[in-house]
Amino acid sequence: MARGEIQLIDLRKDFGELTAVDEINLRMPGGEFFSLLGPSGCGKTTTLRMIAGFERPSSGRILLDGSDVAYTPPHKRNVNTVFQNYALFPHLNVYDNIAFGLRRARRPKDEVRQRVARALELVQLSGLEKRKSSQLSGGQQQRVALARALVLNPAVLLLDEPLGALDAKLRKALQLELKVLQQEVGVTFLYVTHDQEEALTMSDRLAVMNAGRIEQVGAPRDVYEDPQTLFVADFLGVSNLMDATVVSAEDGRCRVSVDGFELETRGVDGKVAGSAKIVIRPERVELEPHGAASGPNRLPAMVERIVYVGSAVKVIIRAATGEMLEALVQNTGTELPYVQGTPVQLHLPAEALRLLPDQGLGTASDEVTAPDEEAAATA
Amino acid sequence: MTTVAQARPAGVSGWSRIWGWLRNPWGRPRFLVLVTWAYILWSIVPVLIAVQFSFNSTRSRTVWQGFSWRWYWGDPVDSVLHDPTLAHALIQSLKLATADVVIATPIGVLLALGLARWQGRGSRPSNFLMLFPLVTPEIVMGVSLLLVFSHIFMFIHTGTLAQILGHVTFSISYVVVIVRGRLFSIGRQYEEAAADLGASPTIALARVLFPLLTPAIIASAAVVFATSIDDFVISQWLSKGGVTDTVPILIYGATRAAPLPSTNAIATIMMVVTLVVVTLGFLAWRVLTRGERHGATAAEDFGAFNI
Repeated sequence: MARGEIQLIDLRKDFGELTAVDEINLRMPGGEFFSLLGPSGCGKTTTLRMIAGFERPSSGRILLDGSDVAYTPPHKRNVNTVFQNYALFPHLNVYDNIAFGLRRARRPKDEVRQRVARALELVQLSGLEKRKSSQLSGGQQQRVALARALVLNPAVLLLDEPLGALDAKLRKALQLELKVLQQEVGVTFLYVTHDQEEALTMSDRLAVMNAGRIEQVGAPRDVYEDPQTLFVADFLGVSNLMDATVVSAEDGRCRVSVDGFELETRGVDGKVAGSAKIVIRPERVELEPHGAASGPNRLPAMVERIVYVGSAVKVIIRAATGEMLEALVQNTGTELPYVQGTPVQLHLPAEALRLLPDQGLGTASDEVTAPDEEAAATA
Repeated sequence: MTTVAQARPAGVSGWSRIWGWLRNPWGRPRFLVLVTWAYILWSIVPVLIAVQFSFNSTRSRTVWQGFSWRWYWGDPVDSVLHDPTLAHALIQSLKLATADVVIATPIGVLLALGLARWQGRGSRPSNFLMLFPLVTPEIVMGVSLLLVFSHIFMFIHTGTLAQILGHVTFSISYVVVIVRGRLFSIGRQYEEAAADLGASPTIALARVLFPLLTPAIIASAAVVFATSIDDFVISQWLSKGGVTDTVPILIYGATRAAPLPSTNAIATIMMVVTLVVVTLGFLAWRVLTRGERHGATAAEDFGAFNI
């Protein structure tokens, strides 16, 4: 077993009447890049703060490499945190910020100097030792915060939306850098974010949280391709949702009826009967010319609107069932042969259609726009 | 600007021209500037006149007859240096102010830390009660302190000790309010970061919180010094006369009898001392917050009288 395994057992946190984290169970193996993904207020930051030791759990256990640390004070835990706004000590320079933890651990002077130098090298900031944090750019502050936490060689590094305050371009560059860094140092990274793209790009595995509970845990690909709940389907990227009625459900294949049109979908774990929802990602929706050869899983439709987004073209379609769907067509340089009002034929491939139990979106439907708003607020 | 000037109709009267100059919405807010300068002049001119007559060469406090240092040290009997009453008053004032700073500042800082981090029941009323000494009329406080010292704590007699206790009582509030304001603006993040990096609460206080609070502590010490040296009512109620009379008490007494320019001289000295202390505090604040000042002004710490 690699070092830095975290296990959360029936972990719960109440703030007065409000339950921020509701009895979650989660196992993060050592050495993984693990993300907690969810809208603001879903309890992901509270979970991280409990692992760091800043919040005391209302009940439950936090196992770090097998031993319960739930009631150990933060300064005695072998975990370190990169804070959302970095929290670099403004009265200390870069060197003293990074050396802070080593000095608290009473490491000898030579060792402190060597380890700080190595940490600075790791985050590519050598030569900036004497700068104050106010003299650094946002990206540089972020790196100092990383170095300050990593220099202590923690079992687990906790990152609380560390890229939230940076501009989009820098964020993209640092995403890759963080991932490379994690593989280099081999420390467990627990990354909290509301940005689904960030979580998908960087994580080995991720957990999607909503309203204090965990909706789904898995590798990015599994969670994106195989959402288990409507919330996950909706929160991870744009999803086309349609009301459907289950006609028959056999092993692997289901037949559903959408407003009279019968469609074949992929199977579902567990039982689904009666009314349900079907989900398809916009990039999996195929457009065919009106009157093309008919086949299974095809619906007549009409183009409502065409939105040019640069790398792709978003086509908003009204299906014959009355539902509005979105199709994403890769921009290949040729103009699309559709305009508003063009009749088309939709192909919804069976292996891209997913049947989900209709249990309501919870707070999902109005929360999906939250990440952008939050990013705008922090910017 | 030239286009605006040309656009004006010719032959406007002087008054409307001045009016237009004052309320030109594209220019600086000249009306506000005017009011500000009027106020500054109004408040500073009497002080400057008082200072000027402390240098008068004759006994007159109204007719200027030439510059001299007579009332500071020149006069062998009535100068600040040679009149024992004046010298004692000055020493007593400085003694009280220094003791006040030394005692009230640490207590106030600790109270602020406790109040800012205390989340439970009773924290709100306590936070509010801290403002009480600031809003209580000083005369009420002076009388009640005298009652306390003459009937309850009878081992404390009027005089220097009682005066110091009186000053400390109301000064603590200033410290608490200023330091607490700074604590709220710092937030908990630095403490959490320190704990995260292995610092125990005591170490976090000493290595992180205390350095970050230093500007506010200096600011509050300067404010305490200034209010203490300025105080009349409490010093007067708790004075036992003679050598425990402070400069304000002395000036008050002197102006009712036959005042000499030496009164102006001692007032000038006091003003200079206060200005120097507050300026030093302000400069220290500037230096210490050099790294973290992004549009924040001294007013945020010096004038952090928000709840």
